[in-house]
Amino acid sequence: MKAGLKVCGMRDLMNIQAVTALHPAYIGFIFYPGSARYIGSVDPELLSSIPATIKTTGVFVNETLEEVKRLIALYELKAVQLHGAESPEYCAALQPYTEVIKAFGVNYSFDFESLIAYEKVTSYFLFDTLTVNHGGSGKRFDWSLLKQYRLNQPYFLSGGIGPDDVNELASIDDKRLHFIDVNSRFEISPGLKDIELLSTFFTLWNAAPAAKNYNDMNYFVNEKGYYGDFGGAYIPEMLYPNVEELRQHYLEIINAPEFQQEFRALLKDYVGRPSPLYLAKRLSEKYNANIFLKREDLNHTGAHKINNTIGQILLAEKLGKKRIIAETGAGQHGVATATVCALRGLECVVYMGEIDIQRQAPNVARMKMLGAKVVSAVSGSKTLKDATNEAMRDWINNPIDTHYIIGSVVGPHPYPDMVALFQSVISEETKKQLLEQTGNDQPDYVLACVGGGSNAMGMFYHFVNDKDVKLIAVEAAGKGVHSGHSAATTALGKEGVLHGSRSILMQTDDGQVIEPYSISAGLDYPGIGPQHAHLFKTTRAEYVSVSDEESLDAGLLLTQLEGIIPAIESAHALAYLEKMEFTGKENVVVCLSGRGDKDMETYMKHFGF
Amino acid sequence: MNRINQLFEKKKNNVLSIYYTAGYPGLGDTVSIAEALEKSGADMLEIGFPYSDPVADGPVIQASSKLALDSGMTLDLLFKQLKELRNKVTVPVLLMGYVNPVLQYGVENFCKACAEAGVDGCIVPDLPMYEYEELYQDVFLKYDICNVFLVTPQTSEERIRKIDGLSKGFIYLLSSSATTGQNLQVSDTTSAYFSRIKAMELKNPTMIGFGISSKETFDKACQYANGGIIGTAFVKSLQSPNPAEGVSSFMEEFTGTVLSQS
Repeated sequence: MKAGLKVCGMRDLMNIQAVTALHPAYIGFIFYPGSARYIGSVDPELLSSIPATIKTTGVFVNETLEEVKRLIALYELKAVQLHGAESPEYCAALQPYTEVIKAFGVNYSFDFESLIAYEKVTSYFLFDTLTVNHGGSGKRFDWSLLKQYRLNQPYFLSGGIGPDDVNELASIDDKRLHFIDVNSRFEISPGLKDIELLSTFFTLWNAAPAAKNYNDMNYFVNEKGYYGDFGGAYIPEMLYPNVEELRQHYLEIINAPEFQQEFRALLKDYVGRPSPLYLAKRLSEKYNANIFLKREDLNHTGAHKINNTIGQILLAEKLGKKRIIAETGAGQHGVATATVCALRGLECVVYMGEIDIQRQAPNVARMKMLGAKVVSAVSGSKTLKDATNEAMRDWINNPIDTHYIIGSVVGPHPYPDMVALFQSVISEETKKQLLEQTGNDQPDYVLACVGGGSNAMGMFYHFVNDKDVKLIAVEAAGKGVHSGHSAATTALGKEGVLHGSRSILMQTDDGQVIEPYSISAGLDYPGIGPQHAHLFKTTRAEYVSVSDEESLDAGLLLTQLEGIIPAIESAHALAYLEKMEFTGKENVVVCLSGRGDKDMETYMKHFGF
Repeated sequence: MNRINQLFEKKKNNVLSIYYTAGYPGLGDTVSIAEALEKSGADMLEIGFPYSDPVADGPVIQASSKLALDSGMTLDLLFKQLKELRNKVTVPVLLMGYVNPVLQYGVENFCKACAEAGVDGCIVPDLPMYEYEELYQDVFLKYDICNVFLVTPQTSEERIRKIDGLSKGFIYLLSSSATTGQNLQVSDTTSAYFSRIKAMELKNPTMIGFGISSKETFDKACQYANGGIIGTAFVKSLQSPNPAEGVSSFMEEFTGTVLSQS
């Protein structure tokens, strides 16, 4: 779990409502008359409008126990935060009434051992900058002092945290850091928060790589570009400068506030995000569970692919690239790439297998209409993997001015991490929407289909460290896992290197890549991204498969129960619901990664419409 | 001493190395082509083991790989064919190919099989330096197999120094950042790049490859490096019905040059 956020020092009604909409974990009110943000005697109604999922917190300094208890009752405070010289006995006396957070001002002479007496009588500690005025200095203390803190008690970090501190906060490697407390650095005047500044901070914090070391098991990329045994950059020297340039700059570029603002603005105004999280009532009744559909099919261009292409085109611009290349199988990623190239006025070349060009004429026409050049890959088996090879060859031959927009969480490091970061907006939104709709941001199950695995990685991303959430990745079994016509990579593959990273891929004993098969053009890829290989090997996520037939039936079922025609890719995820058993209470999120318009011919042929 | 090191001890200039794909054009041609090449004056041989997804190669070598694979070439079969190699060929031999078949064969098994067949080195373009150093270097050294790294015009000086430190045998200088089979354009920038490398006075010999297809381009390469590598142009010439016979006529152009200057 990444640390949650607390906003402190509130008192203005409109301002409280605006902050509430951001869903911090805690909102703090200062009941200390000596503070510039003293709340005074306000109407309890002011606090009662705050949803129960946000903990209202009273901040006190050496107040009498009776007064604190009176105010807890009056305002129904979910927590108290004590900033004075309150004793362990004092804390113990409040524990039956509310959550107790004991604050301490930290400086170089602070003795962390003195906290032992408070461990059992509080829920959290809060570490703040030491001042004579009991906090509120707007200054940070030296966070490296926290290395001296050896107790297990989780804590809040407070004191002078500002809008630019996201990266530094995200790099704090301490699973006891549960919450981050912000206040004066986000204010227009004392007690009045700058909502825009706070909103950007929340967005950046939520989008920051999930704190990587909060678990004993790290499910995210390490500094060498590996996920456990998988990943790396298995590329010829000709690609090294391009990939190295990306590796050195991608995080810095992506995490810059102006990049995030531009990215988020395009996702909102151009793509149409946030995509709805829709409780599919009739489908829920059928399966006896609460089934939520994350509606990526409603994005501009009809699938999740655009989240990544928007991110990468902005990144390419920052790197000064003038020409964009991409590979595509069914044409969805090609269309998403051609779209953003048209949007930003960059040259676009899309590689597509000769056979796929024949199979996917409408998408070829779309790309051409959008101004892209579609180049036929005639090598090898003339499908997606060969289009990928051709795109890599193009990049080798054009190392200076060209950026390669890979469409999935595959390829050499940093591509799998970069694409996952851009797609992680899917789970970021889902958590917020689940909290609003169910009061809990953790569902019981999350399902997504996997070809290379980009929608699944985006859908899993912010749930990976939530250990109670079961992640299920659905691969395409084609005509049956062992039919010889399948794309069920984890069932059929072995560890090896494909397209620049070590992962799991379908191959012969001699290490030659096997051409996969699925009725869904987006799932017939012979490998999976390295992070998926890691989630599979560590059993953090379960990898299953469904057949062509099962997915088509699931597509028809969703259409007739909910009036939504899903892409056959997404229908694979839906089809697995049929094989699960529910008790009626479970919350299940399925990533509806794309819409089915492109698959009408296949549906028509199969069902004879 | 490894045959590659011996070669560069006695021959510092105009070293001619030829690349071809194992099992191409006929599955059984691997060793007979090696023999013909040595007879025609090749100083060193690079035998490609085919891979289904050769991203660093242009259309000619891709097509030769696909044909060899379709005919049934595997690493297993290649090592069987190479058993008789050292009865017939004395020049240094390297195997060149992609990392996945090597990983499936097992890196240790691969190096051991190379040593047993009398193979002196290998070139695996998509095996990164970091993984080589961390995981595999000891195995390569144990069997005395030279791992050859590539350098491109974009490779930084710092990285070239690191490659020089890790290399045994020689360093493979790419004439340009490109896939195989494009013509070498000896522009001012390539000359500057070759001169820059030459001025670095690396401890390893250097060979220039990619885009060397004629006497003129080979001579140019030899001005800056210890020699040149011909791949695509040679593979293309093998399309004739009797490949071993075609070898000597192809080689005449180059060996003529080499002999007159050595």
